[in-house]
Amino acid sequence: MTQSVDRLENPAKTAKLSLAAVGTNHYFLATLSLLGFLALWQVISMNVPPIILPGPAKVAWAFIELTLSGELIRATAQTIWPFALGLVIAFVFGTGLGLLLGIFRPAARILDPYIFVFWSIPNIAWLPLFIAWFGVGQLTLIVFVFVSAFFPQLLTVESGAKEADSFLVEVARSLGGTKREILHVVVLPSALPYIFAGLRIAVGRALVGIIVGQLLIVATGIGYMFQFYGETLSLAKYFAPLIVIAGLAVLLNRGVNWAEQVLVPWKQRAFA
Amino acid sequence: MRELQFVNVRKTYRSPTGQDLLALADFNLKVDGERFVSVVGPSGCGKTTLLRMAGGLIPSDGGEIRLDGGLLTAPSPKMSMVFQGIGLMPWKTVEGNVALGLQLQAHRRKLTGEETRLVYATLEMVGLKGFEHYYPHQLSGGMQQRVGLARALVRQPEILLMDEPFGALDAQTRAVLQDELLNIWNRVKSTVLFITHDLDEAIYLSDLVVIMGRRPGRIKQVLDVKLPRPRYSYDARAEPEFAHLRSIAWRSIKEEL
Repeated sequence: MTQSVDRLENPAKTAKLSLAAVGTNHYFLATLSLLGFLALWQVISMNVPPIILPGPAKVAWAFIELTLSGELIRATAQTIWPFALGLVIAFVFGTGLGLLLGIFRPAARILDPYIFVFWSIPNIAWLPLFIAWFGVGQLTLIVFVFVSAFFPQLLTVESGAKEADSFLVEVARSLGGTKREILHVVVLPSALPYIFAGLRIAVGRALVGIIVGQLLIVATGIGYMFQFYGETLSLAKYFAPLIVIAGLAVLLNRGVNWAEQVLVPWKQRAFA
Repeated sequence: MRELQFVNVRKTYRSPTGQDLLALADFNLKVDGERFVSVVGPSGCGKTTLLRMAGGLIPSDGGEIRLDGGLLTAPSPKMSMVFQGIGLMPWKTVEGNVALGLQLQAHRRKLTGEETRLVYATLEMVGLKGFEHYYPHQLSGGMQQRVGLARALVRQPEILLMDEPFGALDAQTRAVLQDELLNIWNRVKSTVLFITHDLDEAIYLSDLVVIMGRRPGRIKQVLDVKLPRPRYSYDARAEPEFAHLRSIAWRSIKEEL
């Protein structure tokens, strides 16, 4: 915080276009690296058959075309709904159960082995079972996203709640705090950073879950676009859903980071 | 009445090898009035155990701890503790941490206007005016312990239990805080039970210095410190009486090392 203030109050540092000033301007660096990436892509695409790697201009055209035709937007909507629903339910239940198990250790000692086994099974192995149970449709998709995101959320939050500082608990006790108050004053705040850490993993897992689900079962949305344009070798169009997914992942990560900075202002960051 | 009394207090710990380790045996001590009592002793003599029992954090295995005549079994609102590890909530600001001392005592999340004024007055007393909205990690160790002290004082305790509160601070900060503690104590007039391993600190601050022997902890000697107060108004450490007391205390402790 103090560093950014320092930068604002010291215009001499940024006004001079010295190398050091360029180094501190990370927007400039980001633009530079993006241009470099596109140039490299262009050079490589000119030296291989277009069926292997289309150039950036072609990809951009395909992206615009698919957007204007409505296909990309429809697919994105079909992907976001089951994804968001599965993720939100997983977040709520994963966080809730994680906190409970972190606090009531006897219950955790009974349930932990089962949770660990379920978590260890690669989630793709569940898919045929879910299809048998829930049919080929949205419900299976939502359940699959839920299972993908639920266990990382649960386990991360549980370990966070479990590791609340026993000294701080003792301090709260010495001040007269009841069990309930200690939960509120010590345990929940110390679990908060873990809730965000869990969410980061859960978002990633849920994204994998939705794409795999759409690829393998329902034949809709972004996942199906990957399958269709991949199999028909229309690689220029293949990149459009890829860009959407990358954008979604970046957006979600930014969102989680932002929420964490607002809700966990005490966290010390070793590297700014 | 204001009286904390240890009567034949015993405490045993189970060691990792399964043996019982007697930490305190038949410990007797009375702390009362507006007195400042320090307990010194070699490390492992049970000083901290003593204070944690007085604070109602751990039970004794025998004997009684009495507060104003009644049996003490849980943390009492009449007492406040200050810890060497300080134990500030990292997610609370300075003001929030001090307010916690009242919130947990009253079992209310919301403070009354008067309580809020008390929080601010206490912050000012310990020299934290202007730092109300800082988080603990933005403060130095000495400043953090001022917050710890304010959190204890805001409860207006009859008895202040302090477990090596300045043990982790550098020598200058420690000396400054010692004087401020005496200054504050002079105003609030609570009873203080102060644990330390620093003989100079014990003599400088106290009316009574209790010297403990090695485990199982028992009282070896009690020194009456008659140096006039307020001691920050003159260089009490340079008095011949101070040197005399220190040499007695040091000889006594050395036999226990």
